[in-house]
Amino acid sequence: MTLKFEAWKAFEDIYDVLGNQEFQEALKRASTNNQAKVAKLLHERPELLGFAEEVRDLKRRSIEALGELIGKAMESLERAAAKPYYAGTAEEARTLIGKIIGSGKRIVMSKSMAATEIGLRSYLESLGNEVWETDLGEFLIQLEGSKPMHAIAPAVHMTREKASTLVAEKIKVQISRGSVEETVSAVRRFLRDKITTADVGISGANALAADTGAIVLVENESNIRLVTSTPPVHVAVVPVDKIVPTLVDAFKVAIVQAAYAGLYPPTYINIIAGPSSTADIEQVRVYGAQGPRELHVILLDNGRLKASRDPALKEQLYCIRCGRCQFECPVWVHTANTWGGPTYGGPMGIVWTAITLDPVEAGKLSYLCLGCGRCDEACPMNINISRELRHLKTLATQALRRS
Amino acid sequence: MLDPLQIIRLVEDNMRAHGLPFPAPRESLYSWAKPLNLPEKGSPMIYTGGLYQLTPYIVSVVESLSKTEDLRLTSMAFRASRLLSALGLSGLVVRPKADVASYIERVLRSIVELLREAGVKVAYAYEDDMYSGVILYDLGLDSLFKENAVKVYRALKSRGAEVIITVDPHTTHIMRSVYPKYVEGYDLKVKSYLEVLAETGFKVERRDRGDIVIHDPCLYARFESIIEQPRTLLGNAGFKVLEPRRSGRMTYCCGGPIEGLAPKIAKTIAKTRLSELAEKPGVIVTMCPICYANLKAVSDEKVEIEDIALLLRG
Ligand code: SF4
Repeated sequence: MTLKFEAWKAFEDIYDVLGNQEFQEALKRASTNNQAKVAKLLHERPELLGFAEEVRDLKRRSIEALGELIGKAMESLERAAAKPYYAGTAEEARTLIGKIIGSGKRIVMSKSMAATEIGLRSYLESLGNEVWETDLGEFLIQLEGSKPMHAIAPAVHMTREKASTLVAEKIKVQISRGSVEETVSAVRRFLRDKITTADVGISGANALAADTGAIVLVENESNIRLVTSTPPVHVAVVPVDKIVPTLVDAFKVAIVQAAYAGLYPPTYINIIAGPSSTADIEQVRVYGAQGPRELHVILLDNGRLKASRDPALKEQLYCIRCGRCQFECPVWVHTANTWGGPTYGGPMGIVWTAITLDPVEAGKLSYLCLGCGRCDEACPMNINISRELRHLKTLATQALRRS
Repeated sequence: MLDPLQIIRLVEDNMRAHGLPFPAPRESLYSWAKPLNLPEKGSPMIYTGGLYQLTPYIVSVVESLSKTEDLRLTSMAFRASRLLSALGLSGLVVRPKADVASYIERVLRSIVELLREAGVKVAYAYEDDMYSGVILYDLGLDSLFKENAVKVYRALKSRGAEVIITVDPHTTHIMRSVYPKYVEGYDLKVKSYLEVLAETGFKVERRDRGDIVIHDPCLYARFESIIEQPRTLLGNAGFKVLEPRRSGRMTYCCGGPIEGLAPKIAKTIAKTRLSELAEKPGVIVTMCPICYANLKAVSDEKVEIEDIALLLRG
């Protein structure tokens, strides 16, 4: 199974959603609310601007030393009794995870773009496993059979009416049409059983600290807590660009990501430094107390190390996936991630598609970039996204002219 | 969505044939200045780069191309370039939109008159006011862009330009922030006429001319930090400047830059922006021909849109 992507197909989807009233309405509500929420938050809490500046600086340093940090993180993870793996490509990552998990298992996942990037869910299903997404938005995407439409809010294109109808139909429950409360509680009941009986929990990461091997994950739903602590085995898929020098750095990344996504303070920040253990009896350490006995960490490269040496794309590795650039983009607010590759969309997502999948196809998508620079202005990492997109256009133009 | 390769070829072929990205006569770039009899050499020199003058042509190219936009374009259709033959793009004859064309002439003449009133005497290179290459850069046609940029630079230098005065945000940005990366030894000083006027403290002795809503062009506001100047100038000319919900550094695009490739998306964005601008009372003021044309295309008679040069000139 190789992931392939053709930009022309995305263009067709874009034109479809342009004429879809419900889609347009949902996006309009979400982006207007989000723009206002973040603006208010940053105004009321100017200290967040200071944090963002610190994260900018530490991300730059981290990417500069990426190769070295990967090595350090591997060592620290071993010390923390986790099992680290380096995966050069999406395929390698899938195979590694397939070997760890095998078949016939029940698996629960917390939203992870990295997992989507490597096509993990369908791969694990093809091995004969039962797989459930537990983040509400991602669960809706799973039910709909579509792809995440925003970095933080995957089901941003669905109105409450659409979401309630979808859940009612797919998991066969009664929900009053348009009731958000009833939808949430139906999903909670449905997933709770899957989570408590799951063999494996899979998560992503907001950041990974090279000094300690600690993974930091930020959330509001508490599904990450459950997924990473209930099943006996936890597999974390961590893109290498998320490695930062220290645990404090990792914590700051999570805070800034949440703030610029409009969720501050976030309800939960999880720190996971190794499998669950106890030394309560005679100070002998035993793994698998109430939480997982095994923690496997897949450090996913998939084009990142190479991009860290490419002056035209390197800056994208500073990205903390807050999704600001998407909500602020005049094109994206009418297309969501239909303007994108299979995993990532919108301004940042086109560059991520170039890094992890195909620069020329990503370049074709970037023809729709206005070059207006609102994304650059909004990005807490000060990434010059519009410049990257224009660079990708030059690659697409060269390829088209040769064809 | 139109086929990018067709647009690329159209632009390339036209550039190679006569130095303009669309089928437009060379003369269309400088005929506006004929009656003004400006000195053809010297500095500061007005350099338009042709964006204003080409706008009426762009509007009609887009109009004829967008007829094919709704056909479902599969990868097959793109590759086979069926549309290319159907449209006969290479032989495309373009009639400029007459109303837009005369409007643009008035804008450009007003700019020269405003500078004159402010005591700034400008030269103008006429035949050597060549196309800056904005579209080549936007389409990622870098080698052609570079080739053209070198020509433009040499022509301006041969006419004695040291300081050039630009009239629109795209040309200002490309000449000030992009050319230096592509043209070796580039040493032109680039200023927008709005900056020049603001520096001279230009004032029109008029009061209470009513409310206007300002639409900052993206490139002025975010890339060239030209935000205060138009406000000061409009204030000095007796207008009360109203800010839309999103303005200044966070201004919102009119959709224009992708009108050539995806007219439908461009228009959708223009509508979003126009309705936001229309939340406030007053004439909407633009500083860019692309903003003007794109907002105008989605507005009705109730909305008034005017170029800043005409408002200042009054
Ligand atoms: S590019 Fe910037 S704004 Fe966009 S998701 Fe990444 S960090 Fe956030």
